[in-house]
Amino acid sequence: MPSAPQDTAAPSVAASGVRQRHVTTLLGLISTALLACSSADKVTTGETGGTMVIVQPAEPRTLFPPRANQTHELSVIASVFDRLAEIGPELSTFGDIGFTPRLAKTWSWAPDSLSIAFSIDPLARWHDGVAVRAEDVRYTFHVYTSDAVLSESRSLLGNIDSVSVRDSLTAVVWFKRRTPQQFLDATYSMFILPSHLLASLPDSALVNAPFGRQPVGTGRFRFAQWEAGSRLEIIADTANARGRAKLDRVIWTFVSDLGAATVKLSAGEADFLEQIKPENIPQVASTPSLRLESYLSLRYGFVGFNLNARREPLGAAGTPHPVFGDVRVRRALSMALDRARMVRSALDSLGMVSFGAGPRVLIPDTTVLRQVPFDVAAARALLDSAGWVDTNGDGVREHNGQALTFELLVPTSSATRLKLSVLVQSALKNIGANVVLQNLDGSALGPRLDARDFDAWMGGMQTNPGLQGMRQTWASRGALNHQGYNSPVFDAVLDSALTTFDLARSRGYWARVFQQAIDDAPSVWLYEERLPIAVHKRIRIAPLRADGWYANLADWSVDPAQLIDRDRVGLGGAR
Amino acid sequence: MFTLVPSAIAARTVRWRLPLVFVLMLAAVAVFAPFIAPFSPADLPDNYDVVKNFPPSAAHPFGTDGYGRDVLSRVIYGSRISLTLAFAAVSLALLLGTCYGAVAGLLGGAVDRWLMRFLDVALSIPRLLLLLAVTAFWGALPLSALIILLGTTGWFDVARLVRGEVQALVRRDFILAAQATGVPRARLLGRHLVPHLVPLLVVSATLNVAGTIALEAGLSYLGLGVQPPIASWGNIIKEGAGVMEAQWWLAFFPGLAMVTAVLACNALGDALRDLFAMDQVHA
Amino acid sequence: MRGIVARLTSRALQSVLVIFAAASLAFLMLHLAPGDPISGIADASSVPRELRAQWDAQQGYDQPIAVQYTRWIADVARGRLGQSTSHQRPAIDVLGDRLPHTLLLMSLALGASVLLGAAIGAWQGARAGRRPDRAVTTASLLLYSIPEFWFALALLYVFAYRVHILPATGMFDAAMYDSMTPWQQIIDRARHLVLPWLSLTVMGTAVFARYQRATMSDVMREPFVRTARAKGLSEAAVRRQAWRAAILPIVTLAGLSFPALLTGAVFVERVFAWPGMGSALLDAIDKRDYHLVSACVIIGSAMTALGSLLADIVRAFVDPRLRVS
Repeated sequence: MPSAPQDTAAPSVAASGVRQRHVTTLLGLISTALLACSSADKVTTGETGGTMVIVQPAEPRTLFPPRANQTHELSVIASVFDRLAEIGPELSTFGDIGFTPRLAKTWSWAPDSLSIAFSIDPLARWHDGVAVRAEDVRYTFHVYTSDAVLSESRSLLGNIDSVSVRDSLTAVVWFKRRTPQQFLDATYSMFILPSHLLASLPDSALVNAPFGRQPVGTGRFRFAQWEAGSRLEIIADTANARGRAKLDRVIWTFVSDLGAATVKLSAGEADFLEQIKPENIPQVASTPSLRLESYLSLRYGFVGFNLNARREPLGAAGTPHPVFGDVRVRRALSMALDRARMVRSALDSLGMVSFGAGPRVLIPDTTVLRQVPFDVAAARALLDSAGWVDTNGDGVREHNGQALTFELLVPTSSATRLKLSVLVQSALKNIGANVVLQNLDGSALGPRLDARDFDAWMGGMQTNPGLQGMRQTWASRGALNHQGYNSPVFDAVLDSALTTFDLARSRGYWARVFQQAIDDAPSVWLYEERLPIAVHKRIRIAPLRADGWYANLADWSVDPAQLIDRDRVGLGGAR
Repeated sequence: MFTLVPSAIAARTVRWRLPLVFVLMLAAVAVFAPFIAPFSPADLPDNYDVVKNFPPSAAHPFGTDGYGRDVLSRVIYGSRISLTLAFAAVSLALLLGTCYGAVAGLLGGAVDRWLMRFLDVALSIPRLLLLLAVTAFWGALPLSALIILLGTTGWFDVARLVRGEVQALVRRDFILAAQATGVPRARLLGRHLVPHLVPLLVVSATLNVAGTIALEAGLSYLGLGVQPPIASWGNIIKEGAGVMEAQWWLAFFPGLAMVTAVLACNALGDALRDLFAMDQVHA
Repeated sequence: MRGIVARLTSRALQSVLVIFAAASLAFLMLHLAPGDPISGIADASSVPRELRAQWDAQQGYDQPIAVQYTRWIADVARGRLGQSTSHQRPAIDVLGDRLPHTLLLMSLALGASVLLGAAIGAWQGARAGRRPDRAVTTASLLLYSIPEFWFALALLYVFAYRVHILPATGMFDAAMYDSMTPWQQIIDRARHLVLPWLSLTVMGTAVFARYQRATMSDVMREPFVRTARAKGLSEAAVRRQAWRAAILPIVTLAGLSFPALLTGAVFVERVFAWPGMGSALLDAIDKRDYHLVSACVIIGSAMTALGSLLADIVRAFVDPRLRVS
């Protein structure tokens, strides 16, 4: 462990007596205070300085951007690395509307719109001092699409044909087709990598290369240190052309136990917690040092029905599921659920009833959608008319010898869905449907979904801006369409919505897409949540973006009037 | 996890009645749960969104959980799961351990040496690591599988104890004499071995039940033991641990029940051990 | 002396056998288990199956089981424990970072448990059956019956939350540590150690005290004690002599207590986010990191085998009876 420079200033005293110890501690404090003054002089020119400690349940696997796919990895990566251009706060994906420059200072569209030339900011430097070149962009695209790297983002880069280098500061992205989202394709999915550090390695060595644990990027924060299992630290890149990050340091600490994490937060040992249980929210709200914020996310949750018989492969002509094959049953189950009340109970004020097959942030107009109403009587009547009647008086309806009993798979990783599943079970019991809950961890759930060996599951999806993911999740034959939803009408309007260049018509198509999925009810569209974050009140946050709270981390700052000890460390002893 | 203390201490002080009463009371709570519990452990009250997360009160002495369910009732029903599981798993372990130990002790020689060597190896693999690996990689285990798993990993100690006892017995004069006079082996075993083993097994079982209750609770706390919606003490604690700042009662009361049960079984085991050791001295 | 050498050689061989058995067992269990290792890395419901299959192949998980097994055992023999998928580096490196933290915690807890337990137990054993002994017996039985994880949660709640006098988690102050003086750093580390250490030590002390009490009270009834008393030695001197005879089993028990200690450490590390092997194991389980879990099982078994081997060695040199036979 490298020791801080001021350590040498403190006299080294053998701990022999109590008095001596006091003296040492005192001297230590004084020297820290002196140092604090000197560093404070350096940094309090504007609103910069301060340390934010984040507590989070999981440690990143890697900081190698192409293979990172989880929030707790991306939060670090998005601060250390840059995209070519950054999506706007509205998450518009139409052309380059709303996009702001990052590594690319400007860009120009080719007349046929099949290529975009990005001009790299000539002042941009890697954290090791080397200038950023167009070659880095070309290399990045190569890595993201390499068979040896297998990035999850590759599926989003399918429309990019190639990247060429026009001159050392101009990279040209070539597309296969004109689409409204092609600017998003070129910018959103790739964090630009330093070719001068990586290109000498074979692609197959990249995934496990040391770079993933000590990344070099171009962001306004630079990587400082990562002690496995305990902390990860990034510090302001003071030489950055776009200005240093306002905070001096951001430190992630890893605490798997959520209870302990919350204790750490309220004890003041940490400043920021991303995952708060609804039960803990009143507690956080009443802690004077903390502030609660929340933001709309791109996640939505549903009760997904398997529309085909169990184990029927995806896309097979299909025996319908004995229960869920009938749209009347699906709609009846949906009607029986008081979604508003359930969501309120599970998520308090942070929950919202979902509008449909996507998060509300991305639905152009939610007012035109006609929802399935909550109406228990109608649900019972609908089941009766569909032939599901309780003939033997056991409280469960039957139809052609088949009981209205089904298994509901619940991922144990989601506290919200675990909770809602119990409420779903309880509500459906009311209308004579027997739900058997089966809680599974992610690794057990995946294979069951793959094999389509399930009746229903508590589903959840995290989408990307632009709703392109809908093709994967709800279009027939989509790789993540676990429900086997297969509607030619839906597929057709979805295709139109994604390809039209006319904004007004696109809105119309989207309305039809969502309405179709509501009417067909391949799922009960259950909930969305505002994600809560708890943050120390001295920290001033920048707008929280729906695709990740961390998007503007470099603009977060500490109120200079409320500095605490750890804010006075400056850029820290790590460097 | 228990260690048999080498020998008994002055038997005058043996106090087995109080722990026995406690253990019987716990068993009674488990058996008569439906009559004792004031509410249903699993069904949500109609006004679940209003009565959730109530602190302890007269109506809900242990408070309510995030679904508005009465924690006392859940703890009472949880005792069924926790105790049944421990009892069943330990029974299985005793059965396996006794057979294995008896075979080794009776056959002796090379068979015994190999069986003991295997036992040494098995004892060197920490049980928790083994359990964690299995429970984690098989995902959510059903109750029966959990019992089998705890049983099949819990018999090594028992086997070693039984084998020691059998070996000592076989060498005792009266057994040798009986064998010399041609008493059939089977009858010998039935008449002498079994009665001698019973005290040992009872003590071992009692202490093992204590250990297994704690172990199950630990596994469930990690989310790898009994799976919700079945409530065991361990997974009620798990639910509570994440929110213990706001709802301390969720983790506290099931924990208290667990400690009481473990303590009662340990105390009873200790007391019985002392008691039986005294008997053996007189035999 | 030759007897001792033969005995220790046989024990050492057995330790190797243990490691082999643990390696095979870990391999078998993890590979017979349903599901695929990659699904732990990513939310299986949101990453297409094809991509997961490709990730599997990249890690060699698509090879026949026998091939994977042979490779695995050969690797273990060479000290390689495979590639951790959840850390994207060799599993042995991950444990190289983590194991020292666990060993620190365990050795401090074991040391304190043995010392405290032996002292308390000997004190009790010398007056077995009397009122103070019974009171302490009851207390240690109670402490012995509180599972570590719950005790740790209670400590966390009380000392880190209710009366905030100790840090909740971690090994040091993540934000301030680097700018502290060496002395402050020691204090900081000590403060972070208190709660995890206490959680392990309380149970450990109870175990050793119970054991020591029994051995001590046995020894107190042996003829040589009576002889010593008859010779007119003071009661204190008699007890000292008796204790010398009664301490040996404690050494053995200390050697055999590794599995229990490790069990405790797993829970305690989780509660206090202590970055040791236990928390690495639990995280690896969450993420289905085949090789890291296997590595933990193997290292844990090796530690256990080593513990009992050490106890054997110590006993061989200390116990006069063994030296003769």
